[in-house]
Amino acid sequence: MTLEILKPGPQTTIQAAPRTGQRHLGVPASGPADPLSMALANRLVGNDLLAPALEIVLGRLTLRFHSQTAVALTGAHAPATLDGKPLPLHSTREANAGDELQVGPAEQGARVYAAFAGGLQADEILGSTSTYLPAGLGGHHGRALVKGDRVAIVRHERPVGVLDTPDEFQPPMSKSWAVRVCDSAETAWLQDRRQLFDTNFSVAGRCDRMGIMLEGAAIAIDSDGRMSSAPVFPGTVQCPEDGQVFMLSVDAQTTGGYARVAQVTRADRHLLGQLRPGDHVRLLWRDQISAIEDLREKLDYWRAWLADIERVI
Amino acid sequence: MPLANKIRVCGDDLIGIDVSNPAEADSLAERLRVTGDWLEVVGGIDTVVLRFDAATLDPDFVVGRVHETTGMDMPAAATSAEVVTIPVCYGREFGPDFDAVCAMLKLSAEELVALHAGHVYTVDMLGFTPGFAYIGGLDERLAVPRLRQPRAHVAAGSVGIADGRTGLYALPGPGGWVLIGRTSYPLFDASAEPPFALKPGMRVRFIAEQQP
Repeated sequence: MTLEILKPGPQTTIQAAPRTGQRHLGVPASGPADPLSMALANRLVGNDLLAPALEIVLGRLTLRFHSQTAVALTGAHAPATLDGKPLPLHSTREANAGDELQVGPAEQGARVYAAFAGGLQADEILGSTSTYLPAGLGGHHGRALVKGDRVAIVRHERPVGVLDTPDEFQPPMSKSWAVRVCDSAETAWLQDRRQLFDTNFSVAGRCDRMGIMLEGAAIAIDSDGRMSSAPVFPGTVQCPEDGQVFMLSVDAQTTGGYARVAQVTRADRHLLGQLRPGDHVRLLWRDQISAIEDLREKLDYWRAWLADIERVI
Repeated sequence: MPLANKIRVCGDDLIGIDVSNPAEADSLAERLRVTGDWLEVVGGIDTVVLRFDAATLDPDFVVGRVHETTGMDMPAAATSAEVVTIPVCYGREFGPDFDAVCAMLKLSAEELVALHAGHVYTVDMLGFTPGFAYIGGLDERLAVPRLRQPRAHVAAGSVGIADGRTGLYALPGPGGWVLIGRTSYPLFDASAEPPFALKPGMRVRFIAEQQP
């Protein structure tokens, strides 16, 4: 029960449930940058929604199956084939030993997820098998996959039926995103808070699992660079003195010394995993109560297809 | 003594509590971890932030629980008698900002090393990345701000200063501290239990190591 990486793409890692409850030790969350898409892939092959799966940045991956297994792709829009035949996103397929799965370049969105019935075998450390690249933790020897890697698939008992994600549960991909945010601890330091919401930001080249730099405006802030290190989280929008804001993502450090000027709402954090350089981003302001209502509404919507969605987003 | 801590919203599911120092942050964070079912409780230098499950809890309830907890007596934070010695190669490629710090503070290289090495410091907190230690008590003549723009890549073992503290990078990654040297001391070992060499309250001393 293995698959073999023939071409790894720019960055392919094994991700699973995040590391939780350890940020006070400096341990970041990790896990899928777009957990909603990963859960959808796992759903199609009958896995736990957070079973270890492949996170494929920008596509361009080829792998070969050495055993029969059910596979499903979700996330960024990318052309794909299985054994030479087109493989649509959001649809379970049975792969045979010797079949090749080819994922082409992602056209919209940043991350394709590939789930395999039974889930992937991965190293567990600090309570999770998710890969955290800076420290070499979890996943496949703590690193991104390379050509020739063989990854074991956990044997599963139940037969997997062929499923399609219903249309209304296939998240749209885009080159233009709206992300809802709340105020954070240092929002009052901004000279004009509206600048955050009036700017049509674009995603800069520095865009990875740690964070996403936004360009489009230097945000005016009253800060002298002497802020005390304070807790930050995935979704925290920080603003250094030069006004180049960046949004932290799943591998974000646990504390930081730059002003926390906004916080992406829990409902929308999963969107950060699909942002790629050049995409446009608008920040939309929500007060705390509205943001929590948005979250509960979103959870209610998704529960009809993903039963334990609150574990995912 | 009950504290009148200011509580602030840090996000839809994040509540921050102002405190006056790292020891108080550590103590309040410990207390919150045992008195509530929070997703994360993270101490900073002068704040504690907790993340709650907004799918099931309302902010009013969370703030009420926080007030009950901050009203309790705070146990004094434990400090350790042991002093951990950390060798540091100062300057050159090990501390890419070393020369700039000397110029900014009008210090010779020897004066900068003398102001940093030799003294006994206390670990205020862990954070940032696994094993990264914030170490308080820096000589006030070494007051420099963080870099205006963080580096995308800082080498493991890097020794930075900023805002009256020394920061030790256990792992490579991005960072905005002003880098003056590097240590080979193992700050993080994924296979050890616990995997982190330092913890809040520990005392450390840097010594200048001969550069290879």
